[in-house]
Amino acid sequence: MKGINLEIKAGEVHAIMGPNGSGKSTLASVLAGREDYEVTGGSVDFLGKDLLDLAPEERAAEGLFLAFQYPVEIPGVSTTNFMKSAVNEIRKYRGEEALDAVQFLKMFKEKMSYVNIDQSLLSRALNEGFSGGEKKRNEIFQMAVLEPKLAILDETDSGLDIDALRIVAEGVNKLKSPANATIVVTHYQRLLDYIVPDFVHVLYKGKIVKSGGKELALELEERGYDWIISALGE
Amino acid sequence: MLYTELSSATQKEALERFKAKGFPTNKWEEWKYASLKSWNEKDLDWTPASLHESSTASLQTQNGNTTFQGSLPAGVEFISFDAFLASNPALAAKWEQRLPILDQNSLYDLNTALVANTQVLWVKSGVSVDDAITHDFIVSASKASAIQSRLIVFLEADATLTLIERAFTKEGSAEVLSNFVQEIYVSEKANLTYVKEQDLAANTSHIDHTFITQLSDSQVDLFTFSLNAEYLRNNLHFYSDGEHVVSNLNGLYVPGENQLMDSHTVVDHRKPNSESNELYKGVLMGNATGVFNGKIFVRPDAQKTNAFQSCKNVLASTRATMNTKPQLEIWADDVKCSHGTTTGQLNEEALFYLRSRGISLANARTLLLLAFVQEVIDRVTHEETKLRLTDKIISKIQTSLAI
Repeated sequence: MKGINLEIKAGEVHAIMGPNGSGKSTLASVLAGREDYEVTGGSVDFLGKDLLDLAPEERAAEGLFLAFQYPVEIPGVSTTNFMKSAVNEIRKYRGEEALDAVQFLKMFKEKMSYVNIDQSLLSRALNEGFSGGEKKRNEIFQMAVLEPKLAILDETDSGLDIDALRIVAEGVNKLKSPANATIVVTHYQRLLDYIVPDFVHVLYKGKIVKSGGKELALELEERGYDWIISALGE
Repeated sequence: MLYTELSSATQKEALERFKAKGFPTNKWEEWKYASLKSWNEKDLDWTPASLHESSTASLQTQNGNTTFQGSLPAGVEFISFDAFLASNPALAAKWEQRLPILDQNSLYDLNTALVANTQVLWVKSGVSVDDAITHDFIVSASKASAIQSRLIVFLEADATLTLIERAFTKEGSAEVLSNFVQEIYVSEKANLTYVKEQDLAANTSHIDHTFITQLSDSQVDLFTFSLNAEYLRNNLHFYSDGEHVVSNLNGLYVPGENQLMDSHTVVDHRKPNSESNELYKGVLMGNATGVFNGKIFVRPDAQKTNAFQSCKNVLASTRATMNTKPQLEIWADDVKCSHGTTTGQLNEEALFYLRSRGISLANARTLLLLAFVQEVIDRVTHEETKLRLTDKIISKIQTSLAI
């Protein structure tokens, strides 16, 4: 990252696009707090707090969510169980009462319908032996449960066939509200047919080199990234 | 040191052997990581006073004295081992013919020399004991002491028994070296489930020798849960001396700060068509030391043996150490044997994933460690014991990670 200036308001969908190695996933990881990265300067203001001062779990409790490009397989931990822990830890952070088993069941049932995910999948070990589509649907299910204020979808379209892509996108669209925002990190335009962005930014060598409306994504699909890079004089 | 009245020649000879060798030191190959050298220097009480602890368990061993409280289940007897041998010439003959114990050491001699009370829990032919028998094993002393305990369990043909052992130190006890020998005889078609819960004090060293002989068509499911002690050494031997024998060895050790836990297992396959499955897991925290040494012998006659061994460990601290050594000696040519040991750390990516969903680092680590050990706990079929162990293991892991 070599200096990113980006402002995202509630209710907006921003797409971050760019060629391989431009820094898209790095940006997503830095925002979520992955410890492999060191931030040497700057700040990230998130609803009045500097995200960079917070541990990953505090960022989640403040309302940030990262849908992983490669969701981790965790043997021995079921989605249902770990989401119960997550929800109640976040509620505790916010000074809210813990949910009981009955309340969880009711809430889970509702959220499951958003991404058409089956109870049996959620009882199994997290992502273990899941297909690519099941893993991504599970990510969006978790997003639905945690109701983030800002969701970052990191290459959520990678490894999905068109039907899975549609289901995932529909889930994201159902969760959209004037109170929350979404960053869609993607290499290809096709996801943006389903999740329509308000703004499109092109990331190149760790910087945003061009911003525009949803038409920009279509232009990138048609012309590739070269014309932007050559316009930079490189 | 040590002189009580020794009544028999066997005891006197055993004592001489112990005196010649003393407690094991790290120069002994089998005790390389688990030396007891410092005990050679201590001024010890070799015959600590008897205890009268209240306990709800039916079987109780208090400072080496084993008794049975309440009424014995039908078909079960609890008598002195000498009386058992004297009154059952046929069983005594079988007992005498059992395979010799491998790796006998000075601690076994010490136990033979000084043990005061050897009882036998005897389940008669065809008897299936419905309720699990709980065995509270308690040690306590007012000054540094060495305590010898011994128990014989004899299952006649077709007998079934579940034994739940809870070893602990009475609160406020002085330093104790507890040396516990068990010899278990599982006759044809008999079935034994045995869960050991070792939860002793920070100044207790506990050495458990469990030697199991199995005859044809018998099955033993043994679990060793090592929770707490300054020093815990398990010498677990299975002598598989029949066909279609099933031996399942399950172990879980969770040593924390200033704790050493050493599991030395031996499975000796002597006859064809039998199987053994060994699953050991360890979570090492603080500056803990762990040792796993698993020997499997498949003797020339033991064709068609299936012997599997797996030992997996997580180092949950940069200061913890794990030593593993599988040893397979296979003389038969038509067998299936496998072994594997791994020692690693928690997956950083999995930790980040859980944290990114709002779970704190401490809880994420606990969650992953519990998921790792669950496989062993889930194999316990006695529900009450499974729940108690789960609670204890969660609490042990949480406490140790918080240091």
